[in-house]
Amino acid sequence: MSVAEKVKEIIVDQLGVSADEVLPEAKFVDDLGADSLDLTELIMAMEEEFGVEIADEDAQKIVKVQDAISYVEAKKG
Amino acid sequence: MSLPGFYIDDLHIPVPIIQGGMGVGISLSGLAAAVAAEGGVGVISAAMIGFKEPDVRTNHTEANLRALRREIRRARELTTGVIGVNILASLTDFEAMASCAMDEGVDLIISGGGLPRTLPGLVKPGQKTKLIPVVSSGRAAELLARMWITRYNRVPDAFVVEGPLAGGHLGFKRSALDAPESRLEVLVKDVVEVAKKLKETHGRDVPVIAAGGIYTHQDILDMLAIGASGVQLGTRFVATHECDADLRFKRAYVDSTQDDIQIIDSPLGLPGRAIVSPFLRNVSEGHTAPISCYCKCMASCGVEQAPYCISLALISAQRGNFRAGFAFCGANAWRVNKIVSVAELMHELTTGETSDSPAEA
Repeated sequence: MSVAEKVKEIIVDQLGVSADEVLPEAKFVDDLGADSLDLTELIMAMEEEFGVEIADEDAQKIVKVQDAISYVEAKKG
Repeated sequence: MSLPGFYIDDLHIPVPIIQGGMGVGISLSGLAAAVAAEGGVGVISAAMIGFKEPDVRTNHTEANLRALRREIRRARELTTGVIGVNILASLTDFEAMASCAMDEGVDLIISGGGLPRTLPGLVKPGQKTKLIPVVSSGRAAELLARMWITRYNRVPDAFVVEGPLAGGHLGFKRSALDAPESRLEVLVKDVVEVAKKLKETHGRDVPVIAAGGIYTHQDILDMLAIGASGVQLGTRFVATHECDADLRFKRAYVDSTQDDIQIIDSPLGLPGRAIVSPFLRNVSEGHTAPISCYCKCMASCGVEQAPYCISLALISAQRGNFRAGFAFCGANAWRVNKIVSVAELMHELTTGETSDSPAEA
């Protein structure tokens, strides 16, 4: 499974949204209904899944689905 | 009936009453030391604590750290009781302030206003300060504990669970303030369940401290009966001689009616509970106070859109000026009808016996 697919799967699990809503340009708060605790949980789930550490400053910049995918891809090299 | 003490890790709390940290400048060393001397936990609020320093506009971090250090030391000179500091996680100075408080050896840090994610990472070897996050749901408690354990192998030493009847900024959306699932009893039970799981998985007792709208001895007994180990009260401690605010701030509580207590939208993007003032009336009519922000004290402040500076408004209120500010308060502030000593208040809260002195007109 690609990073993009895995990230989408985590988003579907964590936010309880359907897979076809998780478009690259979808914003977590505005489009997917996430609150601040949801975002924190999402970040932690990605850290656990990919074995990366996401600093708070970086986490604040993850606004859209594609931001999360790009971040993990860059971290994983 | 007196109230049982409890432990936060190895720290003994003789009387299970924590005086809530109140900024700006409402709970400093004067109030905190008085509460600690009575066996409770006295809490200094770190928010903009340097507001009286001459260089606060030019050198705000240093001014805040200097004032924090001085207030902690002054409290220690006044009492051997338990002293804590409340530090908002969303302060831009959060890490510097928390490190300073631990270097000064405070007994505990209570931190809300967002999740204090990085707090355990600031502890230096040998420092024993207890770390207590403020949460507004069982879910937040569980998440914060998981984060601290994963990142720092640190179990929170206690939780403060703050419900929707609290004063100041509230950790709820406006629409959730009156929801049945937001009631403090419900939240306390949820967080007690999280604490039980932590006991099972990590062998640590994590006491739960209930906050928000607790007013009488009976209220305290009710919270202890559903599993809380202690309670945190703010409003009642405002109406004490020892409270560090101007007398006019305390009088605003005494004089308030239930209708005067309203939910406002703070410039920080959160709802807050406050006593209406001439200043707030002006704001609600669309008047704004120009901001010359010198420090961006809160990470979440929308400086560009904010109709006024929350720091300046709260500093004005602390000095008794309600044309330029307003008092935050808990939902029961209208019930306050006189100003008493901390000793009298602690006696009433721990025994249920009220003193005979009459209410003020």
